Amino acid sequence: MDERAKEIRRLKETLDKKIAEIHDLEELVNKDIDRTFPSPVEEFSEKELTTYIRECLSSIDIDLEFKPDIRAITSHRKTLGKPIVFLKRAFLETTFRSIDSFLDKQIHFNRQISALCRALLLRTSHSRERMKQIEERISGCEENLAILKNKLENLRSGPEPLKNRPTVRPLK
Amino acid sequence: MTAHAPKNVFLSMKNRKLDSLTALPELSEAVEDISISQGIQAAYNYLLRAEVIFNLRKPSLAVYDHAFHFIGGAQKYGLTLISALQDQFDITIIANQEVRHEDFSDWYDLDLSKCKIKVIKLPFFEERKAFHLDPAFITHDVKNPFHLISQESGHYDVFVNNSMNEMVYPLSHISVLICHFPERRPQSYFYADQYTYVICNSRYTAEWIEKKWKFTPHQHLYPPVDMESAETGFPKKKNILSVARFEPEGTKRQREMIETFMKLNREWPEIVTGWTFILAGGSNPNNPYLSKLEETIAENPDQNIELKINVPITELKSLYQESTIFWHLCGLTHEDPGEIEHFGMTTVEAMQNKMVPIVYDGGGLREIVDHGLNGFRVQSKAELLEWTITLFRDQTLVQKLSQSAQEKARTYARKKFEGRVKVFFDEILKRMTSPDVFKT
Repeated sequence: MDERAKEIRRLKETLDKKIAEIHDLEELVNKDIDRTFPSPVEEFSEKELTTYIRECLSSIDIDLEFKPDIRAITSHRKTLGKPIVFLKRAFLETTFRSIDSFLDKQIHFNRQISALCRALLLRTSHSRERMKQIEERISGCEENLAILKNKLENLRSGPEPLKNRPTVRPLK
Repeated sequence: MTAHAPKNVFLSMKNRKLDSLTALPELSEAVEDISISQGIQAAYNYLLRAEVIFNLRKPSLAVYDHAFHFIGGAQKYGLTLISALQDQFDITIIANQEVRHEDFSDWYDLDLSKCKIKVIKLPFFEERKAFHLDPAFITHDVKNPFHLISQESGHYDVFVNNSMNEMVYPLSHISVLICHFPERRPQSYFYADQYTYVICNSRYTAEWIEKKWKFTPHQHLYPPVDMESAETGFPKKKNILSVARFEPEGTKRQREMIETFMKLNREWPEIVTGWTFILAGGSNPNNPYLSKLEETIAENPDQNIELKINVPITELKSLYQESTIFWHLCGLTHEDPGEIEHFGMTTVEAMQNKMVPIVYDGGGLREIVDHGLNGFRVQSKAELLEWTITLFRDQTLVQKLSQSAQEKARTYARKKFEGRVKVFFDEILKRMTSPDVFKT
């Protein structure tokens, strides 16, 4: 093995060791690899729309009952912490009490919207089912028509004597 | 971070006629620079290239498909591609489940003995005991299980991703994504645009890549189809054949075709006398869709319908040779573009064997079958009946169309595909090994 090959191998081994320790792809390529993309709903197919609506509804459900929790307010300060937390909680409790009625209305609205979306989705699904049934019936009729049309053509192009046979026997 | 660009050691060696020993410190320096500015992987790729440029080894290529462990048209495409490159590259086939060289030989009639097979199991799917590794399960709140494959891709000069899975981030210097259809829109873990080249299998696929991914694929390569028999004049039987996978979702529309044949049998038995409808195709074990079809056929034993599941290639060839008409309705009543045939390899196989195709008028099938010239394209079961009856009644038309079908299908022959593949990869090799065009 020449010097060049040895040097390349040595450098590769060094990098191999480093690579083996790295489990994050972004660190390997020294850049962010994950991005966010828009959802072009107007371009979606029916199948994609169904998935999209399902995902949206489940995220609405998560946010449906959202109300800030004042118990989450804490402080790490030893002496000043308790009064600060007390004041903050008292302030927020008073404020929330005044906006509670508004929040309740908002939650009620959210619930109604969610229910309405589900109802509309159900109606669409029923309509699609009915449309599918009608399409199948039309398809059945078209198939029968295709067979009948061909049967007729077959009769028309049947044997010559049969084709020219008079339908009414002539009077003697 | 260094402000200057890394030195092109390969080029400086060539220009200044430096011997290898003089260049060694520069190589080490360049590796260091690249490592800092572009990451360790880029530095590693630089060394891999150096090995190839200095003729220390053959260039390496890995081809990955998460579905290599079962029969499929897309998998045949990727494997035929690498079979044409076995002499130029040191090839590794990366699969996620156990698969053997013999399987590839049985399924696709391909000798890949010069290629290595490496199985990388993905714990996410192993835990779920999934036979079919569906990337659709991977959402942004799940850690990307395909990162294991990404890491592996960094060990090769060229990485070819043949799977319908753009969640594999390519780390190799040159990467190729073979897109059989853009199933997903860009969302979490979307890396299709990070590949050096994107190849597509039909104009239909190219059109949807532009619509969904907003870029134009670099290369359009129709799949290789090599089903034409060396023997000619084999006797044709009164068979209608369908060859398609029995997808559990029924996307290949076998049920609809059975219904149509049964209707014809019921409504006009005289015209169907002597005709048999054969449905051949691969299937996973415990396929409820297939079980339902088997039930229907068992309940109607007098209908002359036969199912041939996972048949070996020799039997499939005989079926093509003996049959007269080919039915393919994949896409019928589907609204989603992904569920319409992206190309239609089995249709070409049938045409190469002088069968007259009657296929769904949509997707890639429009590029294969020219209506009235070498087959028929239909948009409903009624039209399928119409053209089938026409063929039953007109033997001269069958002869004429079958001849034209074979001529058209020859444009997709494997030799032509291999020729195009070699030209494409020669260009890649040239780019990779030329110090003049060196870019890190």
